[in-house]
Amino acid sequence: MKINNTEIVDTYAEAFSMWSAKVIITAENDYWAEGAARAMTGMATSVIGCKCEAGIDMKLTPEDTPDGRPGYSILLFTMDKESLGKRLIERIGQCVMTCPTTACFSGFNTDDTINVGGALRYFGDGHQIGKKINNERYWRIPVFDGEFIIQESFGVKESVGGGNFYILGNNVSECLDACYDAVKVMKRVENVIMPFPKGVVRSGSKVGSKYKALIASTNHIYCPTIKGVVKDSAVPENVNVCYEIVVDGADEKAVAKAMSVGMQAAAKDGVTQITAGNFGGKLGKYKFFLKDLVK
Amino acid sequence: MKLKLHTQPEVPTEAECITPAIINSLKVKEIEKLKIYHGNREVNLADFFSVSNNKATSLEVEGDIHQIKYLGANMADGEMFIEGDVGQHLGSAMSGGFIKVNGSTGDWIAPEMSGGRIHIAGNSGHCVACAYRGASKGVSGGEIIIEGNVKNELGHGMANATIVVGGKCGDFTGVNMNSGTILTFGEMGIRTGAGMKRGTIICKDNIEILPTFSYDCLYSPVYLKLLLKYLKDNTQIKIDKEFTEGSFHRWSGDAIEMNRGELLVFSA
Repeated sequence: MKINNTEIVDTYAEAFSMWSAKVIITAENDYWAEGAARAMTGMATSVIGCKCEAGIDMKLTPEDTPDGRPGYSILLFTMDKESLGKRLIERIGQCVMTCPTTACFSGFNTDDTINVGGALRYFGDGHQIGKKINNERYWRIPVFDGEFIIQESFGVKESVGGGNFYILGNNVSECLDACYDAVKVMKRVENVIMPFPKGVVRSGSKVGSKYKALIASTNHIYCPTIKGVVKDSAVPENVNVCYEIVVDGADEKAVAKAMSVGMQAAAKDGVTQITAGNFGGKLGKYKFFLKDLVK
Repeated sequence: MKLKLHTQPEVPTEAECITPAIINSLKVKEIEKLKIYHGNREVNLADFFSVSNNKATSLEVEGDIHQIKYLGANMADGEMFIEGDVGQHLGSAMSGGFIKVNGSTGDWIAPEMSGGRIHIAGNSGHCVACAYRGASKGVSGGEIIIEGNVKNELGHGMANATIVVGGKCGDFTGVNMNSGTILTFGEMGIRTGAGMKRGTIICKDNIEILPTFSYDCLYSPVYLKLLLKYLKDNTQIKIDKEFTEGSFHRWSGDAIEMNRGELLVFSA
């Protein structure tokens, strides 16, 4: 199958189950809301080395936030529910509460919840005040510029991590142009994040390594510099560059939509092939067949 | 179900049976035979109300029922819509559900309420959400929104509930308050927050501050923005931008008690 002159390989992206929370950060103005959002999602590209994956989902207008101030929604993913709570408490405590004028709310309205504000309230050292609005409890923690407001419980849900597709081409410049276009349209899809720098990863990984201590290592079959010596190389003859776009989403539908618009935007001149990473079904339970997504 | 008043009671009447759970679980004939107290005499509900099945899942009550007390008593769920004025003790010991009154109410609304929501489009009387005499705690949860005025002792001894008054308040608002929030938009009477232990009283109008409160600072509480946005989305109370984005003087008190309460007074 081809879109323009780009071949869409008949394969699937293998994704796996993760737990996610959506965090709404608001502040006096966009400058501070963005500051907190970027701090909270920093160093969160992959669970392999960061314990979580996080990114900005959407920029929110005052009409969209609980307190009528500008804000951002953030998605944070971990491999299990227990560690999701730990990461939320660490990152909200260190990156959001510390940022001037911010407040923090749950973005998911799910039955499954984690106590976040109820744990961070102890920072108030006994001066914290609990308040209920519409059956939701919030905590007011006194800080240097007034008070930090945080919702007691955050909704969490089982989600999808590791959706992906690879963009293969002749040179770095054209491949990165395609990546840029893909990520740009994928960012408009709600409830997904592309956790790597600017949404793109060049060090795509495979499960395991020849070194026993490592849980992941370079996905050598897509490394052009060693295609001559790697027997099972997947890099075609006229390809010199490969990039991967990883997408985590609140649900299967969101990941599929993001992959679909991303691949269609990336299929342009200079992109030889679009394919995806999978490990024969050993990694996760979700399969996203590329051809189905670009029909 | 729908109840429509056809005869005005001559004396105050107690009708604890008028709740969505009781009325909507019975047939029309059974509802008509429910007992209510007209003064000290036991009478049938049908002596004062006509009953019709409007197939709605909520309960509708229509008419000037300012003489009829205890509607929604012990209510745990369901919805009740009252078209007209209603008498005292509305929502007594209510723990859940929703009561909307398109009219005004008498005194002693929602005593011992622990949950649910009451929304009154008109005015209310004295002792709304108030502790009974001799009790140290009044309401222990829930939400009461009154778009009009209230009289004295609003939220006396209250704990955990949220009360919003769109109009004026009488004296001793939040007296002996244990916790929770009172937000008022109109003119206030005297001795607001006297003896409060914890809790928050937010006033748009300037108030007389008791000498046992100490001044903290001028700031813009984010909590209030959250509460005001919720009210803007769910009530007809007029909330201007100046109030939402304004600053408030914070006072701590009452020093004769735990000194953990706060008064937030709008800085015009």
